[in-house]
Amino acid sequence: MASQYVREQVALKWTNGFARLNRGEPGITGLLTFTEAWILAREFLRPRDINETKPEFVLTQVKLAFELIGECKMLQSLVDEFLEEMKQQQFLITQECERFMSQYESTSDPQYIAQLVMRLQQWYQAWQPASALGTSMMASYTTAFQTHLFSILPPSFPRGFKALISVTFNLTHRASVPQWLLDVAPQVEGQRPDLSLWVAFDQLGFLDRYDSLVSGVCHEYVEEHILETCAEKWDEPMLAKVREWMANTIVPWMMMPYGRGARTSEEARSMLQAVGSRFDFHLCKTLSELRIKEIFDIIVDYPDSMGALQDLKECLQRVDDKALLVSSLRKANHKRLLHPGADTKLILSQYVSIIRCLRVIDPVGVLLFKVADPIRRYLRERQDTIRCIVASLVGDGESGDSLVDDSEPIQPLQQPQADDYTDPQWEPEPIDAGPEFRTNKPSDVISTLVSIYDSKELFVKELQVLLAQRLLAVKDGNYDKERRNIEILKIRFGEASLQVCEVMLKDMTDSRRIDQHVQAQQSSVLHPTIISKHFWPPLQTTTFDMPGQLKEIQERYSKEFVAFKPDKKLSWLPLLGTVKLEIELDDRTIEIDASPLEAAFVELFSQKDVWTLNELIDEVGGSIDRVTALRALSSLVLHEILKESPLDTFNLLNTKEDIEKYGVKGKQREVVMQEEATLPVVTVQQQQAEQMQVFWKFIEGMLKNLGTLPLDRIQQMLKFAPDYDRSIDQLGAFMEAARQEGLVNVKDGFWSLSNA
Amino acid sequence: MKVTVKSWHAIAQWRWDTGSNSTEDEEGDVCGICRVAFEGCCPSCKVPGDDCPLIWGECSHVFHMHCLLKWIGTAASKQQCPMDRRPWATAERKVNK
Amino acid sequence: MAAVSTRRLQKELADIKNHGTPTGITLLKADDFETWYLTLEVLGESLYKGEVFALKFRFEPGYPISSPAVQFVVDDKFRAPLHPHVYSNGHICASILGTEWSPVLSVISVCITLQSMLASCKDKKRPPDNDRYVAHAPENPKKTQFVYHDDEV
Repeated sequence: MASQYVREQVALKWTNGFARLNRGEPGITGLLTFTEAWILAREFLRPRDINETKPEFVLTQVKLAFELIGECKMLQSLVDEFLEEMKQQQFLITQECERFMSQYESTSDPQYIAQLVMRLQQWYQAWQPASALGTSMMASYTTAFQTHLFSILPPSFPRGFKALISVTFNLTHRASVPQWLLDVAPQVEGQRPDLSLWVAFDQLGFLDRYDSLVSGVCHEYVEEHILETCAEKWDEPMLAKVREWMANTIVPWMMMPYGRGARTSEEARSMLQAVGSRFDFHLCKTLSELRIKEIFDIIVDYPDSMGALQDLKECLQRVDDKALLVSSLRKANHKRLLHPGADTKLILSQYVSIIRCLRVIDPVGVLLFKVADPIRRYLRERQDTIRCIVASLVGDGESGDSLVDDSEPIQPLQQPQADDYTDPQWEPEPIDAGPEFRTNKPSDVISTLVSIYDSKELFVKELQVLLAQRLLAVKDGNYDKERRNIEILKIRFGEASLQVCEVMLKDMTDSRRIDQHVQAQQSSVLHPTIISKHFWPPLQTTTFDMPGQLKEIQERYSKEFVAFKPDKKLSWLPLLGTVKLEIELDDRTIEIDASPLEAAFVELFSQKDVWTLNELIDEVGGSIDRVTALRALSSLVLHEILKESPLDTFNLLNTKEDIEKYGVKGKQREVVMQEEATLPVVTVQQQQAEQMQVFWKFIEGMLKNLGTLPLDRIQQMLKFAPDYDRSIDQLGAFMEAARQEGLVNVKDGFWSLSNA
Repeated sequence: MKVTVKSWHAIAQWRWDTGSNSTEDEEGDVCGICRVAFEGCCPSCKVPGDDCPLIWGECSHVFHMHCLLKWIGTAASKQQCPMDRRPWATAERKVNK
Repeated sequence: MAAVSTRRLQKELADIKNHGTPTGITLLKADDFETWYLTLEVLGESLYKGEVFALKFRFEPGYPISSPAVQFVVDDKFRAPLHPHVYSNGHICASILGTEWSPVLSVISVCITLQSMLASCKDKKRPPDNDRYVAHAPENPKKTQFVYHDDEV
């Protein structure tokens, strides 16, 4: 039964098949013509070795044959047969491919890749079936061809392909076109020399398969160009230039892989738009990352690096790299700025530059806020920060560059204030602002610096001290600079805050006026600065009595002063000031600028040639201690006026030869210092130091907060500590002991904690 | 040895000569009214010294002139010295003490 | 510019902080330069042994040229001392707070005077016109023209 049914089915199929091929022709004539057509078509399609010559065909016959096969619905079979035959012939392509690739592999010369590509294209075109066979036929062929091709390309091919693509970037100038390219790729007049290469890429399916590779090569090329032309080039904006380069070099190139089908420039533009914007993004990203990597040095170079900042600003509008910028700059600051080796002044000036630079990039201030926070915290812990800021406020031109830009308008300090929602200029905080973000609305640099601390009083205090130091050092009566600075600072800090400074300046003027009057009555070598005590920071109040002629000079002046100002009197601060002395010795005359205490000692030596330390101290009286006296004496020893020998006995060197009499000086001095350290007095000092431990916490806290302080200010402030009843000399001894323990340092009379 | 002082830059503080001459005490005297040192200035002044002078009473009490005048200017003062409630009489400045 | 009173009170406050208050007097509250509170007690043998009073000082900008308004605090915690010169509403009839005020006086010196006024009291009683005065008294004792009962204070 079943076989019966099968047999019937087979018979039916055969009959149908026969009918289809014979097409109702008499006998089997139909079948015969079909066979002829089939053979012709197969011959025509046969994938041959292109090195052999292809037989001639009469195209009309071929066309008829295809029509006939089509009528018989046998085209698919023909295609199948063709594809099968192609498989048999593929070894020809494999052979050629291997030949070119081995050439490339041994030379790494992309011209062999170009040759290979062009050759593959010839194969492809040679084997390509007639379009009459329909698009699906073409698709099947292309797929089969490419599948084979990709299966035989060696792993070295993508590298070579990349190298070949790279060659295509620099073809804008005829001169830069390599000869081999002209040889390999057929040239079209008025077109890029690499046009036919791209056509071949496209036909062979390389553009689809290696799409990311192509854009990758282009990205790399762009990156390379940017690094080459923009790295460390900060003085002018480079973005526009790079974009111009892109338009001249990359865009024409882009036409090849991405816009070849375009018939009009309009069409080309729209085709290139998406890919172009991708490339522009990449360009911005590359430049932005470069600048972010360089940011610390860009800031160092500010304002010469303005161009780079503008680039970064523009790039950041396109690329979201703000978080990267913040983290990079914070990292760089941490590594290069916020370490003990960096000078506070340097940190401040870099901070100011950071403020200025980030303001260029992000006027709203979100970036600055995020970057500044660690710097501000660090600066707050530094002990000399206030002093540095103040010094720069008054244009302490030590380093020559002030933190304050002269071109920046001077304005009152801005205090952080609550948002004023009635302000028509009010804008909500940017979305990337942190919760603690405080806009420093157009705040100036000084306000920003001062705001590191909670109150401006600290600054005014420090300013007062600094001004006092400078004014008291003025000898020529010229303090115009100080006056001008105070005028400027008044604008910043407000008139009331600087009232004391105003009085200090007035004291300077008054002193001069009084001095002129006094000199007119009775000329004197003494020219005092007369200060209003309560308006100056606490000064060295150590007292002693001037001896001999010095006392006379002083008293004569006091008398004239009282005559001029009958309701006032003068009280001298004997430790302060300078005395210019001329000392005539037996064999030489020495002129020195001496401290008043040194001058007093010199004067005493004019009475007799040999004094012991204790005699000298007793003679000047007051509250001069050993340390102070020894310091003054050793200065005179350095001037070779005195010689200490034996210990604690000082001898006047009437002649130079006297030096020999007392031995070599350097050694002697060292002995003095050592001896001093082991004197019984020291143990007494140490005892006092132990008692003073109670007050150490106070001193430590005060030095931590205020950085460095002179002894009399420490004394002043300690008076607020409960039960403090030490004299300033006891305090001095304690501080000296603390220094020996390594807890504090002293420099120029200013004490600071040593763990700074 | 001969020592010649060529020039000398010294620092001094001025003080009012209140006659008390109470040694060189650290804090100095304060005006009983405003409690500011005589060498400071009264609350309505900014600059000390000649611009904010002292006033001596015959009773020997001394004040910032501005402070005392402000007090004397009120009815409540009954023109009395704030210290001893004796009628206020300004003393001639004792030039030659 | 800050009121004259501010500068003077700053000085007084600093003095209190640095040197403390005399015995029997403590600073209760001085958060601004307008109103201060202090406590007062009479130490040693007196009619007010064991009693603690509170004083309220109110300052005008012209202080110390103008006198402060001083009264005892009367609330759920403090009572006015029973004294012939102290009304039950806390108002005090003392010449130094009125006609005998002097700008050289201070918060502390006023407290000391009042302390000694209590210490020297021999008869704990209200002023004879207490009820009438309290019924019509102004809120601020400075507005009252007191007739001083004697010259002791």
